[in-house]
Amino acid sequence: MSYQPKIVSFLCNWCSYTGADLAGTSRMKYAPNVRIIRVMCSGRIEPTFVLKAFREGADGVLICGCHPGDCHYHEGNYKCLRRYYLLQKYIQQMGLKKERLRLEWISASEGKQFAELADEYTESIKELGPCKVKEVMEVLT
Amino acid sequence: MEEPRIGVYVCWCGTNIAKMVDVEHVSKELEKLPDVIISRDYKYMCSDPGQDLIIKDIKENNLNRIVVSACSPRIHELTFHKAMEKAGLNPYLFEMANIREQDSWVHTDRKEATEKAKSLILGAINKVRWHEALEKRSVDINPDTLIIGGGIAGLTAALEIADAGKKVYLVEKTDKLGGHAANIDLTFPFMNSVQQMLNPKIEKVINHPNIELFLETRIDEAFGYVGNFETTIKKENEEIQLKFGNIIVATGLKTFDPGGIENYGYGKLPDVVTSSEFERMLKEGKIQTNAGNDPRHVAIIHCVGSRNSDFHEYCSRTCCMTALKYANQLRSALPEANIYEAYADMMAFGKGCEELYLATSRKNVTFLMFDQKDNLPKIRKADSKHNFEMLIEINDKLSGVTVDVPADLVILMVAQEAHENAKEVAHAVGVSMCGNAFYIEKHPKLDPVATTTDGVYVVGSCQAPKDIPDSVSQARAAAARILASISFGSVEVEVTTAVVNENLCCGCQTCINVCPYTAISYDEEKQVSVVNEILCKGCGTCGSTCPTGAIRSRHFTDQQILSQIEGLLSTVLELEEA
Repeated sequence: MSYQPKIVSFLCNWCSYTGADLAGTSRMKYAPNVRIIRVMCSGRIEPTFVLKAFREGADGVLICGCHPGDCHYHEGNYKCLRRYYLLQKYIQQMGLKKERLRLEWISASEGKQFAELADEYTESIKELGPCKVKEVMEVLT
Repeated sequence: MEEPRIGVYVCWCGTNIAKMVDVEHVSKELEKLPDVIISRDYKYMCSDPGQDLIIKDIKENNLNRIVVSACSPRIHELTFHKAMEKAGLNPYLFEMANIREQDSWVHTDRKEATEKAKSLILGAINKVRWHEALEKRSVDINPDTLIIGGGIAGLTAALEIADAGKKVYLVEKTDKLGGHAANIDLTFPFMNSVQQMLNPKIEKVINHPNIELFLETRIDEAFGYVGNFETTIKKENEEIQLKFGNIIVATGLKTFDPGGIENYGYGKLPDVVTSSEFERMLKEGKIQTNAGNDPRHVAIIHCVGSRNSDFHEYCSRTCCMTALKYANQLRSALPEANIYEAYADMMAFGKGCEELYLATSRKNVTFLMFDQKDNLPKIRKADSKHNFEMLIEINDKLSGVTVDVPADLVILMVAQEAHENAKEVAHAVGVSMCGNAFYIEKHPKLDPVATTTDGVYVVGSCQAPKDIPDSVSQARAAAARILASISFGSVEVEVTTAVVNENLCCGCQTCINVCPYTAISYDEEKQVSVVNEILCKGCGTCGSTCPTGAIRSRHFTDQQILSQIEGLLSTVLELEEA
């Protein structure tokens, strides 16, 4: 079997998780690599969650939130955006390509966009190949 | 913490899940996990026998954590919460794994879908280990209701609530009540006068002691939560503070501007009018061309802006029947005229509608079917040698022949589309919009008037194109829901709020700055942050900002999510080693 990356995706409950549900109710098909964790708001996503995912063997982390201006909690997605830029810099210092962490806006009606994103992101992680954080950490500790 | 005793239930959802996920294999595998006492698969977990299974297991095996892997928690989480309560277990000691919408329905390889299901359930099991019992809180309901929009839906809801003796604030943007219905002459399919049914309603609303009416008024953002909202409304230069317990959004629709469809020449040819403009002619009792003559040839073109991928893909629902109504009204007013109906498909569902179609087809009306996708009718000005104004080239799909239809008057059946203020109102009250800017209901089938924001209801054509009876039904349904909650007197509110551990809080106040609800304040004496749990809506932003980990976002704690991540990723690795 070809290399199957492991991708953890954090989705906000109101827009993106609903969008992913819509992809399901519309019976759209996408790669099975993306595994979803529901949080109430993308603003809840702590840097630790992302780092933990890499530590546990994720090859990529995909964060989705409401479009700017549409956040159910007014501005949690902006908080997420700021953290995202910092985190991308941080993981680069760890030796990871910044593309391994990605943030996209998916609204509750964008089931199609979510399915396409899941496929496209899976492909991009396949190209990057396995992320070795877990293995390295196991050697180090 | 007590030792977790976990029950895992894998739903087949008939064949919806079982077809793509090997549910029996999954449930057997999971039984081997530590702390999983029982693991079962069952045809429909949400059914009564499915729920009874959980309740029985909890009682007999002393389970203290439950995982149901089935559909989206957005659909049945509450169902299972209730089952947990029946069994005497706190409903928050529960977690759902979404193996339908986010697994079986979106994948095509049974093996991959099965592995993904395992991984998602492992995540859920890991998370539920750390779940804690949360006590439900309830708050009193302010019995007043805010209704935004004074169209037929808003008026109906206002009267329903006001007649039950409760106060209504009715806010309308324009200077009159009645909305779009007020512009309509007769209804389809039974040809009743709209004025006759609307005017008494309007009058009653204006004079009702329980309705406070605000015309030419706009609303500002609504703050608060179900039972206790407040907002500022703006009328000219005056600002008024309102407090209310529930909100009904009834902002209605606007009609499509056909100027963008070149074939129809709207705006260039003076005798091409929209359905709204023709309705005005009917109300004035004067069907005439721009030059003031009686039209001898009238063509009605359906699906203008609807069911067309360049504009709106959806069907606007009311235009076909309105077009047939026009044919009947034209036939009465102009017995000698030639009437043409150019349609793409005749949408005649609903009581009395197919009958109207049949009756109209017997009234000497010519029906021509065009191809909405590739071959729209094309309207051009007729030469001076003709004694009519325009010619419409229609490729009739049924006969396969292209015909030139003469016309003195062309009526474009324009689409219903979301209001231009849809986004503004959505932000003000916290409802979501679909791609076409209509508001999204809580559940398309089982909860079509509520929204994901408790206490906010959507009725009428702001939710989707709708006719009068459907708007009225929704309005009455929302009113009934609100009256029920008012009579109950209190409502349960979000318990998954943030909480500060005073021992860890360093008093930096970062959380206070990020809270969108000003729910966190600073206790000067103790020098720690304090969360007001009534104002907190549980977004968790403060939790992820806190540098010392003093803030816990209940039900989505660090421990729970980190553990979920571990579970989610563990199975995949095991699979690769195997």
